[in-house]
Parts: sequence; C-alpha cells; structure tokens
Amino acid sequence: MVKIRRAYEALALGLFLFFLLITDLRFLKGWPVSWFLEASPLVAVATALTTHTIYRNLFWGLVILGITMMLGRVWCNWMCPFGILHHLFGNIGNRRNTKQMIEVNRYRRIYAIKYYILAAMIAMAALWIVPALYNAPGKIAEAYDEAALARAAEGDSVTTFSQVFGLSSWMIGLGLVALGGYAVLRALGIFGPGRLARVPISGALLGVIVLGLGIGIVRAGVPETLSAVGDGLGRSVEASRRGNSTLQIGLLDPIALTVRSMTTSVLPSVDKATEGVYTETREYWFAWVVGLIFLGFLVANWFIPRFFCRAVCPLGALLGVFSRFSLWRIDRDPVRCTDCDLCLKSCEGASDPHTDLRKSECFVCFNCIEDCPHDALQFRFLPRKASEVTGPALNRRSLMLAGVFGVLFFPMARLSGGVKKNFDRRVIRPPGSVAEDEFLRRCIKCDQCIRVCPTNVLQPALFEAGIEGLWTPIMISKMGWCELNCTLCSQVCPTGAIRELSIAEKLGVGPFEAQGPIKTGTAFYNRGRCLPWAMDVECVVCEEVCPTSPKAIFTRNVEVTDRWGGTLELKRPFIDPEKCIGCGICEHECPVKDDPAVYVTAIGETRDKERSLLLSLVEDPSLADQLMA
Amino acid sequence: MGEKLTRTQQKNLERLGGVNPAEAPIPRRQFLTQVGVGAAAVGAAAGVGVAITDPWGMKGVEPPPPVRLKDYSVALAPSRPSLVVVRATPPDRSAFDSPDAEYAAREEQALTMVRSAMQEMGGVEQFIQKGDVVVIKPNVAFDKNPDLGATSQPDTVSAVVKLCFAAGARKVIVCDNPINNPESCFFKTRVGDAAQRAGATLMLPKSSYFEPLYVGGETIKDTWSMFYAPFKEATKVIGISPVKDHNLCKATICLKNWYGLLGNPRNQFHQDIHGIISDFAKMMKPTLVIADGRKLLMRNGPTGGSLNDVKQSDAIVVGTDHVAVDSWCVSKLLEKQRHEILYLDKAIDRGLASDWRPQWTREITVT
Ligand code: SF4
Ligand code: SF4
Repeated sequence: MVKIRRAYEALALGLFLFFLLITDLRFLKGWPVSWFLEASPLVAVATALTTHTIYRNLFWGLVILGITMMLGRVWCNWMCPFGILHHLFGNIGNRRNTKQMIEVNRYRRIYAIKYYILAAMIAMAALWIVPALYNAPGKIAEAYDEAALARAAEGDSVTTFSQVFGLSSWMIGLGLVALGGYAVLRALGIFGPGRLARVPISGALLGVIVLGLGIGIVRAGVPETLSAVGDGLGRSVEASRRGNSTLQIGLLDPIALTVRSMTTSVLPSVDKATEGVYTETREYWFAWVVGLIFLGFLVANWFIPRFFCRAVCPLGALLGVFSRFSLWRIDRDPVRCTDCDLCLKSCEGASDPHTDLRKSECFVCFNCIEDCPHDALQFRFLPRKASEVTGPALNRRSLMLAGVFGVLFFPMARLSGGVKKNFDRRVIRPPGSVAEDEFLRRCIKCDQCIRVCPTNVLQPALFEAGIEGLWTPIMISKMGWCELNCTLCSQVCPTGAIRELSIAEKLGVGPFEAQGPIKTGTAFYNRGRCLPWAMDVECVVCEEVCPTSPKAIFTRNVEVTDRWGGTLELKRPFIDPEKCIGCGICEHECPVKDDPAVYVTAIGETRDKERSLLLSLVEDPSLADQLMA
Repeated sequence: MGEKLTRTQQKNLERLGGVNPAEAPIPRRQFLTQVGVGAAAVGAAAGVGVAITDPWGMKGVEPPPPVRLKDYSVALAPSRPSLVVVRATPPDRSAFDSPDAEYAAREEQALTMVRSAMQEMGGVEQFIQKGDVVVIKPNVAFDKNPDLGATSQPDTVSAVVKLCFAAGARKVIVCDNPINNPESCFFKTRVGDAAQRAGATLMLPKSSYFEPLYVGGETIKDTWSMFYAPFKEATKVIGISPVKDHNLCKATICLKNWYGLLGNPRNQFHQDIHGIISDFAKMMKPTLVIADGRKLLMRNGPTGGSLNDVKQSDAIVVGTDHVAVDSWCVSKLLEKQRHEILYLDKAIDRGLASDWRPQWTREITVT
C-alpha cells in the first residue's frame, strides 16, 4: 500500500510541476493547467460562499470532498502537491532515531490552530449572512405585503404583515434575543447554571418562540407565509451580497500558496540561476517575501514534521471536518496491539493510531499499518465508532473568538475605502476582471494569471489594493504591458475573478462592437517630463507603439521657438481617452524610464461604471438607439 | 630530551621502538616540496593579483570589445538588374474552400515571385551557395494578424527559407527583437510557424544574445547593443520587410527593418529617427532585401490594426540595395513624396547607398 501511495505522490507532484511549467504561452495548448487549483475543495466551498455559485471547473473540488467523505483525508498525502513537498522535505531533514520519531509524531494541542484559521476565513467569506439575517424580517414583511396587495386585486381584503404578525413578531424577537444571549454566555462559560436549570430555561424560551410563530402563521396562512419567507430571505441575501464578504482563504490554501510561491519566487529564481525557464527573465514585486514564507513552511518540517499540514492548513481543516463521515478508516485491534507505539514512528498526520484514531487528523498514509509489528492495524470499512475520535479537538471559546475575529477583520479592512471612494490609481486589474468588490470575493491570490502573462506586466500587489488585496494581480506598466491580442490570464483563472474572454470581446469587435473594447485604465501625460513637451526634443515613441486602431495617442505638429531663437517643428502627443484601453505599452516604452512621462491609472476602467471617466462612454448613443428601437 | 617521562609516556615510547617520531628531523624532500609549493602558490597568487590590478577601477566597467558586422553583400554581373519588381495577380480568396488552401496557394505564389526575381538577377546561386548560414530578418515587431499588414508576411518568409535550403544553405536562422512580447509576436504573425515548418531555426531575443556592435555612424557614433548571436556564424543576410506607413519617419520598409536588431534603450533614437535609420545603411550590408508590397499599410503606421488601413497590391520588390528598394516602394507603392523620407536622402548624401535608377531596375510579371 505504501508503495502505491508513493507512486501516487510522485504522479501528483509530477503532474503539478508539469502543469506549472507549461503554463506559458509557448506550451499552453488546452491543457487543464489550473486543475489542482480547481480541485482544492476549499476554493470551491469558499467561493461558493462568497459568490453563491460554482464557477466553471470548481466542481472538481466537490469531487475531492466526496472522496474525503468516503475515504478520509487521502487528498493530503496522495494528491496535494504542497503536502507531498512537505513529506519530501521532512524526510530530507530528518535526523531522528525511532524513539524521537515516535515522540515527535504524537498529537499536540497546537494542531487545532488550523480549525481556528478556517473558522476565521469562512467567517469573512460568509459575512453576508449577518446582514442578510438581520434584514430578513423586514424583507419577509415586504414580500408578504406585496403578495397581499396582489391578492387584494383579486378581491381579498388586504391584511398587512404587521397586522397579522404584530404580536407574534414581538414574541419571536424577544425569544430569539434571549435565547441567543443565553447561548453566547454559556459558550463563553460566564453563565453556567446547573444541569437542572438548563432544560427549563431553554425550553421556556423555545416555547415562546414556537408559540409566536404558530400564532403568526395561523393568522397569515401557511402557504402565504412559506412563500413570503422564501421570497424575503432571497431578497435579503441578494441585497447583502455586495460589499459584505471577502475571500482570504488563498493566503493559506495550500494549492494557491504553492502556485503563487512557485510563480513569483521559485521559478524566477530558477531562471536567474539557469536562464532556462523564460525567454526573458521575469521580475516580481516583493517576490522575496512570498519566497521566504514558502521556504519557512518547508523548513518548519525539520522541527515539527508536516507543521503546515498539521497546524496551519485551512484546507486540511476543512477536509478534517468532512472526514467525519468517511466510511473507511484505520482501526486498531486492541487485542493484538502490544502498546509498543511503533505505529507512531512515521505517522504523517499525528493522528494517534496507537490509541483511538483521531479520524480528522489522519492523512491515510498507511505508514502505521506498515510499521505495526503485530498486524494490529487495518484500513477497514465501518469500524467501531467507539474506537475513534470523530471530530477535531476544539476549544469552543477559541473557535468563537476566531469566528468573531474573521467577522471583525473584514469591515476593518474595508473601512479604508480602497474599494469604493478611495480606490487606488495603481490598482489596474487585468482585462476581464470583474468589478473590484466582486473581484475580492473571487480572487484566491493563486497568481496563475501572473504565471501565464507573457509580458511580466501582471504583478502580485502588496497593499495597493488594501490589505484584502494582498498578492492579487495588478498591472505595473513599467514592468510590461497588456498585450493587445492576448487573453491568457482570463483563460487560466480558476475562480472567474478574471472572466473568460474572447479576443473579440476584449477588443470590442464583431458581436461586441456596441459594447466597445475592454479598458483597464487610461493613460495621461506628464507634460513636465515628456520630451517634446518639456525639452524641445522629438520623440513620440508612445504614439508609435499605441496598438489601437485608430491610435489612442495622436500628435499635433507645432512650431516652437527654440532656446536660440530658431524655429523647430515638433510632434506633441495627446491622449484620446475614448480610444485608450489602458494597456500601458506607452508607459513601458517611454524613454523617460524612472517615472514615465506617460502613465496609466485605473480611472476609466470598464469593469465598473462608478470608475468610468467619459460621459460619452457611459451613455453610449448607439446603445441608447438600440434600446429605443 | 632531558625531561622525565611519565609511565604511560614511556610505554608509548617503547611501543614506537624507542624513537619519538615527533622529534625526528624533517626529511629534505618534504622540506623542499613544502617550501617550494608554498612559495609557488604565493607567487602565483601575487602574479594573478598583479595581472588583474585595476588602480582606477576602470577595468571593471570596461565593456566587452565591440563586434562588427561583416559585409554580406554580393556583387552582381553589370548586365544584371540590382532591383527587380515582380508582379502577380493575388489569388482570389473566394476560390478556396479553406484558409489553409489559400495560404498554401499564396505561399506557392510567393515562392515563384521571389525565385523569378532572383532569376532575373542571375539565379539563386548568385546569392546562396552550398554550406551558407543564412540569417533572415523579418519584421515581426507587433503581435498582430498578418492580414493587418504591420508585419512581414509568413508566406514570403517560408518561401525564402525554402529557396535558401534548395540552394544548399546549411542553416537558416530567422530572428527579430520585436516590440511586443517575442513569443506572441512570432505566434500571432504566424512567421514563427511558417519559418519552422520550412526548416528554419527561430531565435528569440534572450538578453545574453546581445553584444555591443561597432557602427561608427552619425547617430550611433561608436557602439550600441545589438541582437548579435544569430550573426556569429552567418555568411548571408536577407531582410524581409512589409511596406508600411510610419507616423514619425513616414515609411518603414527595408532600411528601417534593421531597427529590430537594436537592443535597449533603443527608444531614445526617436529623438533622431532619420539619423539612426540612415546609420543602418552603414551598419548593415545585406545580401538581399525583399520588400513585400502585396499588403500595404497605408495609414496608422507602424502598428496598423484595422483592415481599412491595408491596401491590397500585387508587387514584391527584391534588391541588393535597401535604400534603392525603399526609394522605389515609397513613391510607387506608398504614394508618398520621395523626399519626405529624409533618412533616404541622408543615406544617399552620406554616400552609403544609391537611389533607384531605371537602368538597374526591371519589372516583370509572373502568373
Ligand atoms: S485573478 Fe489570478 S490570482 Fe486571482 S484567482 Fe484568478 S488566476 Fe488566481
Ligand atoms: S514616449 Fe514618453 S517622452 Fe516620448 S513623447 Fe511619449 S510620453 Fe513623451
């Protein structure tokens, strides 16, 4: 079994590296290069929470989740490339004897941290639930009243929601508040009445709520209430969807983290050493930070084996939660077992196979079965429930605190205004990106787009897009430019943060004529630095390289009196903001290198109406004509 | 050894046969080798040190010695024209059922046109001999579809590659240092694919492929970084260029095509665009240049981007002198005033090339 596992590990890591290497304009030929990202269940679950949909190939994550619910966390030791790297690194750095190995592989309390991380991240992703629930009663009433009005049109008498629910809503509300407060206090251990008091108190509160509900429903009519509740909840969720969640799982999701580290740090370093990866060397903004974090996690294996997987990985935590349903697991025969603890020698997951197995921690590596000298361990179908620790060992108070942290972190991060009022001129997103708020709910910072970008223009952001936007892609035109006939980033983005585009749509030709080209920003001149403007020197490189037709940069011939009194004929460049698509090649090619005389900023990008610049583009007359016709 | 030994020490001495090796004299051999090798090492280190001393810190910043481009031109018999214009009716799009079929027909036609032109000038063998290494420099500066006329036509490139191999060339290298991303440029213009299918080697510009080139011209007074790697083994050079408009210098044809060999920061040359282009007449003496005038980019140059800017035409111009070819194309194809193109006049005034003359020019038509 262990041999088969090793073969799978080699296969998975090999496939991952192969996909990574061919994510390049030269070799990318319809390969499913984002497969590992799409297969991460955490990506699927978290984006489903933020976007309420499953994008394109993310169902793969649900398949892996299904496998986990059958076999346990096989993903972690058979498929996850980061896990396999940890496995390798741990083996390389291992200088322990059997006894030390057994000790180091015992379960520790810190391994629960990953669940708190997961809780915080999920709370950020699911924050919309809070306003949705908060506003739900109002929306339900609204839905009910509308339906009542419609019924009145057919001859019924109008009874509004507040008429029928007046009394009962008070009862429900007070009951809920009391019950919630009671639950919170108990969870925090502040208010702990004896066993005897617990039942009557919660029973009484529940009774009030049920009674209130009953009165209301009877007065309003069962079918009417049901449809109003469904409708109202839907409306409330829809209304709170925007601006009320952020996706941060990518910071620690193992696949996103690995792809990001490889892209912005490992591969460029390999290239620097060998000149063998890219045709032109790549440079990435603060790549060393990403690289150090990556290396740090790998080296941590020498001190605590599989430290990342055991203590940090939120994907592992998610799989740990779902593994509780799994039908197969490792089971110990207590009669055969001599308590020698040898099964701990190479236990990857620190799942305590020598006692009752901690199912949520087990990576199903089968090492323990191999190591047991008495054949006391087996991988069995439906073993005794009594011999397992099903759920993760969690401290409820910490879990709540983690959730509260997640809930508080997001509004704090958003308060800077970076998404709305105070958005940054440098946050120039690649073409096809969805509007910023939606972007932050989709982008997992995997930097797959950065990997595939042929010109190096895409860069991992530091804090340009706020703390939420750490390592999300932005275009830095000094590093490269957005190639006119290229939509590669949109093809590899696993989550739809960059929607899949066709060239025709990007350029606004053919069926997309009316909608116009996709703009990522607008170029501006700094006439104090531009050679023909400030220094009486010919130039207009920017005009030459401008790729649109007709060119967004045009020139005017001027005759100027030069310093010595002679006349000089010059071409001076101007921007036509209607034609400019913000590709940045003018900025990249401008000979005034350090602070280019022409530069692109985010204003005028078409992904968000609130960021448009020109009236003519917002109120497109041709569109108006179409609408009138 | 006057001092007393302890018991253990005495036992040790006995075990060693009564002689303390630590007190034995150094053998002469060992003395000589050790001192000798030591001295030699010190001497060598000092020698290396002296050899690389650099008291002013100037050796460290010295650029590598500049390279020079060879003269790749060939002399034609005086009876032969040095500029041939070949005309042929372009194949009709609607006559083919697939784009591939049309492409094959166009490639076939390009091959006939270039071959007949060379025939007029004395045959392909005049230019390419057995064992030659030919560098072909197309213009693939932009990441655009070839139909937009901003780049060299892939069919012309593959036709020329095939002609070279047919004449016995050992190796054909196709290279350019585009403005847009190199991989996507070679891909989108289809020049990369066409060249490779015809058997040529593609060379994309890696930074290590650039070397300082001595030009000694008017704008590049001494050296400039150049995409030199392909020229290391080259024995013949052929330029293949589109015929197109250019906002600043008015026309991009064969002479301007060499701009694509320069390394960065080449943008600065826009400050003296005519000077630099006329310098190319000094820098490069090509075997042959081919101006592909079948698709003319009449406006919005040098990038183009709209089919409305492209004019269909029927001529391919082949010549040994890039200035003469450009001069012919400007007035006969681009419909511009010949003297608008300052760099041509400059090159001629500097005695680096000559204008086209009816007596050296022949116009033929093939089918
Ligand atoms: S936008 Fe880029 S970094 Fe973000 S999820 Fe898509 S591919 Fe990954
Ligand atoms: S390239 Fe730069 S310096 Fe030159 S004209 Fe354009 S903006 Fe001015």
